[in-house]
Amino acid sequence: MAKHHFEDRLWHIMPPEHLNEWEREELIALIACFDRSLDDLILQQIAAIWPISTALCFSILEELEKTLQRIAPADVPEWVRRILQIFEAEGLRAARAFMEDADNIYFQRMRGQESLVFEEVAGRLLPYVRGLSSRNLQLEAGSSAATDTTTVFLPGEISVFADAKQNFLLYKLIATFQWVLIDKDLYCHKKADYPALCADVARHYSTTPASEEIYLTCFFNSFPHPEYAREVYCLLQAVRSASFLKEHLPGLMADLQGVFDYFASMECERQSSQPYDVVSGLRFWLLAVCLGSGKPEVSRETAEVIKAVESPQVTSLDVMKATFRLCTLHGGATPDSEFPAPFVFQGILQPAAAHRARLARREENRTQFVEALASLLLPAPEKSQGPPSEGEEGLSQQPLPDSGITLMQFEPDREEQSKESADEIRYIRLDDQDLDMPEDIQQLSRDITEDLGGIPSTYIDSARKMAGGGMAGRNGEAMEQSEEVSVGEKMYDEWDFRRQGFRKNWCYLIEKKITATKGSFVAATLEKYRGQIVQLKRQFEMMRTQHRFIKRQRDGDDVDIEALIEALGDARAGQAPSDRLFIRLLRDERDIATLFLVDMSSSTEGWVGNALKESLIILCEAMDSLGDRYAIYGFSGMRRTRNIIFHVKDFEETYTDEIRGRIAAIAPVDYTRMGAPIRHFTKILGQIDAKVRLLLILTDGKPEDYDDYKGEYAIEDTRHALIEAKSAGIHPFCITIDRQAQDYMAHMFGEINYAFINDVRKLPLRVPEIYRTLTS
Amino acid sequence: MATTAMESKSQKIEEHLIVEKPFYLVQKNELTIGLAAYKHGIPLLLKGPTGSGKTRFMQFLAWKLGRPLITVSCHDDLSTSDLVGRYLIRGGDTFWMDGPMTLAVRHGAICYLDEVVEARKDTTVVIHPLADDRRELAIEKRGELLTASPEFMLAVSYNPGYQSVLKDLKQSTRQRFIALELNYPEASLEVEIVSHEAGVDENIARSLVRIAGMTRGLKDSGLPEGASTRLLIHSGLLIKEGIPPREACRATITEALTDDSELNAAIDEMVSAVF
Repeated sequence: MAKHHFEDRLWHIMPPEHLNEWEREELIALIACFDRSLDDLILQQIAAIWPISTALCFSILEELEKTLQRIAPADVPEWVRRILQIFEAEGLRAARAFMEDADNIYFQRMRGQESLVFEEVAGRLLPYVRGLSSRNLQLEAGSSAATDTTTVFLPGEISVFADAKQNFLLYKLIATFQWVLIDKDLYCHKKADYPALCADVARHYSTTPASEEIYLTCFFNSFPHPEYAREVYCLLQAVRSASFLKEHLPGLMADLQGVFDYFASMECERQSSQPYDVVSGLRFWLLAVCLGSGKPEVSRETAEVIKAVESPQVTSLDVMKATFRLCTLHGGATPDSEFPAPFVFQGILQPAAAHRARLARREENRTQFVEALASLLLPAPEKSQGPPSEGEEGLSQQPLPDSGITLMQFEPDREEQSKESADEIRYIRLDDQDLDMPEDIQQLSRDITEDLGGIPSTYIDSARKMAGGGMAGRNGEAMEQSEEVSVGEKMYDEWDFRRQGFRKNWCYLIEKKITATKGSFVAATLEKYRGQIVQLKRQFEMMRTQHRFIKRQRDGDDVDIEALIEALGDARAGQAPSDRLFIRLLRDERDIATLFLVDMSSSTEGWVGNALKESLIILCEAMDSLGDRYAIYGFSGMRRTRNIIFHVKDFEETYTDEIRGRIAAIAPVDYTRMGAPIRHFTKILGQIDAKVRLLLILTDGKPEDYDDYKGEYAIEDTRHALIEAKSAGIHPFCITIDRQAQDYMAHMFGEINYAFINDVRKLPLRVPEIYRTLTS
Repeated sequence: MATTAMESKSQKIEEHLIVEKPFYLVQKNELTIGLAAYKHGIPLLLKGPTGSGKTRFMQFLAWKLGRPLITVSCHDDLSTSDLVGRYLIRGGDTFWMDGPMTLAVRHGAICYLDEVVEARKDTTVVIHPLADDRRELAIEKRGELLTASPEFMLAVSYNPGYQSVLKDLKQSTRQRFIALELNYPEASLEVEIVSHEAGVDENIARSLVRIAGMTRGLKDSGLPEGASTRLLIHSGLLIKEGIPPREACRATITEALTDDSELNAAIDEMVSAVF
């Protein structure tokens, strides 16, 4: 009766004439196995699914029984909706896969489990891991936990527990564990006698030692069953790490008791169906260490070997030896033996990836070391080495004379003569002069020494070469490639001191656009000065508008009691009292327009040019928080007919990636003919409506051009142009980078202000500082 | 007038004498250098991050030398009169009140200007004649020129970590000093200091020092300065009061270091990993 009633309703939804015989029968058969109380539900769903796909409808009905064991009937419509979405987006196969995957997130969410995804925890765990390791480790989502010693990979999602807090703790455990593995030299990157051990193993098993670059792989391959050795090695490393954690981070391990209990119960369940072997013993041992509970029963020799790796003094070589010993003790596994998946926090061993990361890091260390050392060897641009040559035409570049640097060598700290000497490089020896190494180079050389056992002499040679030749080539060609778009031509006078008058319409000025380059320069600069940029932003923000009380004023809003008492006291004591007795609230609204004019003459090639660009990037990053209007132009010249100004950013443009790219594209061009650009920008700035107009010129010193624009003539013209700017109500300010303050500077900049920087490395930080002091 | 002034002076200077030996563990050569500087009448410049023991070192040095220590915490409103002295009115009469600097010069005490860069530059200039071989202090309002006795010593401290042009010492000022850098002590020494000062056992102190080490490596992640020894002592004191270590560290370290919520969370994770 009930059945007939049901079928009637079914045929009401789907007219039977639309179905063939077997479809009708199968439908009835499928539906028959459900409880009759579900009829309404099932009919509703069929009505929804059938018109979309008959095949899908059958699949869903087939899976429904299993699904009902996992979710409540009330959740079925939601489940069906999700399947239909997947079907419509990805097709039948994907929808079937979704139904079959009982452990997917969907079911967990339905069951009320709170899974966590990587993105939710990364912000919290990244500084945590960096704090733990004191290294700039990266965190990334991966398919499972692993590390290549530079990056720690965490699972993209963790839903082992119903509770988000537990899931987070598991994330934290994985991150911590991977750090310990790196710290404990999981991949045997520290120097030790690995080849000898590999040879021993190979001899023992009469295998041919694999000729592999990666010691760890070589070691495993020396065993008859590499997989087995690998498993044992990983577990021994895990035991070692866990006992370190137990000692070092007891709080974490205490928090994790619940997590480990879960793993232990899972392990017991798994174990009941498996024979008890060395791998199982190790797994239980690992959990026992984590839980601080009693160790599992293993043979006395095995226990001794495992116990030994728990000692803090153990190295990775010792762990390898222990692996060898355990394998010999137990004869190894049969070729077809299967190993249980490693615990999720253990991670997957990836010797090849670690090797790649190591090589990449080595290369990076090398580059950084060479650059840092080269900059140490070359504190100022080489240009100012000799006196300016008179009357000669080729004065663009002078190579660094050889006399300065002959040979340098690393010496251990002399007072602490010890075997640590390799780690303790604090001085470099330059001729007979000892130079203290900055902290960053020390750190780099420690890293390199740890990796290679010493600093290769080629590194030092490269640094010397780089210091000698500047950094030419790194971006020297950028200018040639970048498209130069002429946007206008103007003519300017030039001051001739000999006739105390102007050469009328003497200079042609051409404005060109710089095409932004895409390179690593901007990113590298942002990374290098990240801390300083944050700080600078904060400082700039504080300058934004200043409302402050100033004391001891002649007039003001309130009486300065302190000053008054002092004045009274002074008066009584027969002193002339001060009349500055008031407090006033000072409101400074910033209304500043600044034009940065950057010297792009060929003499800035190398360090100077790079430092200039770095300073611009740092400054611009912080400028936004200040709110001042600013523009950036470069200038360079070749004879009076070809004075070029390069447009980087005008006052209207906002600071974007495009501008960053243009700054990166700034490169040395020709000579320094300063008069015309200064006059041009004086005019431009004159049109800007601002209370303070600042023309900030960044140059490496002497104005000089290919023709007769040199010596006294050039200095006088520049000086005159600056005076003109000043009398036009603009504040010119020159930042000069030179090894020593030249006599002419005081004269050239005499009328205006200038700052002199003799150490090019300080430039990127000094420029924003100067700007800040200038405008506050 | 003169008697009143004398009274207030003589009352004061005694209070600055350090009678009990301050707890201080010598890190490197700072004591030797400090004593040598004193012997030759050269002023001392202490550099170092906040809470690394600069002030405590000065107390220790003063105790060792048996001289009173007059500490002035500098701020940007500090005027020359605040240092040198001023006329005050009492009952219709005026009297001269020595400032801390004058007091120290008169009595051969040690004058210690804490966080000297916080003071305005025009204020710090008054120490120039005191800080070179003249060792003189001019009291303009009284037309008096004091010459410091050999017992007098000038010391200043500042934290170079701020890296700011405004808060930097002028070359003309800094080149008058013998400079000592006091960084955070080595781990083992720091453990000893924390356990002594806070009265906690060595294990707790070691854990605190471990947390501090982790926070000190976060410069690139946006934490300019890590937890100082002083913060650790604070945590230790709270723990000794019976407050659970995690809560104690949250109050003294995590919240004290930064307001950035992610960094806060990360530091919390460090704390909960150790305790």
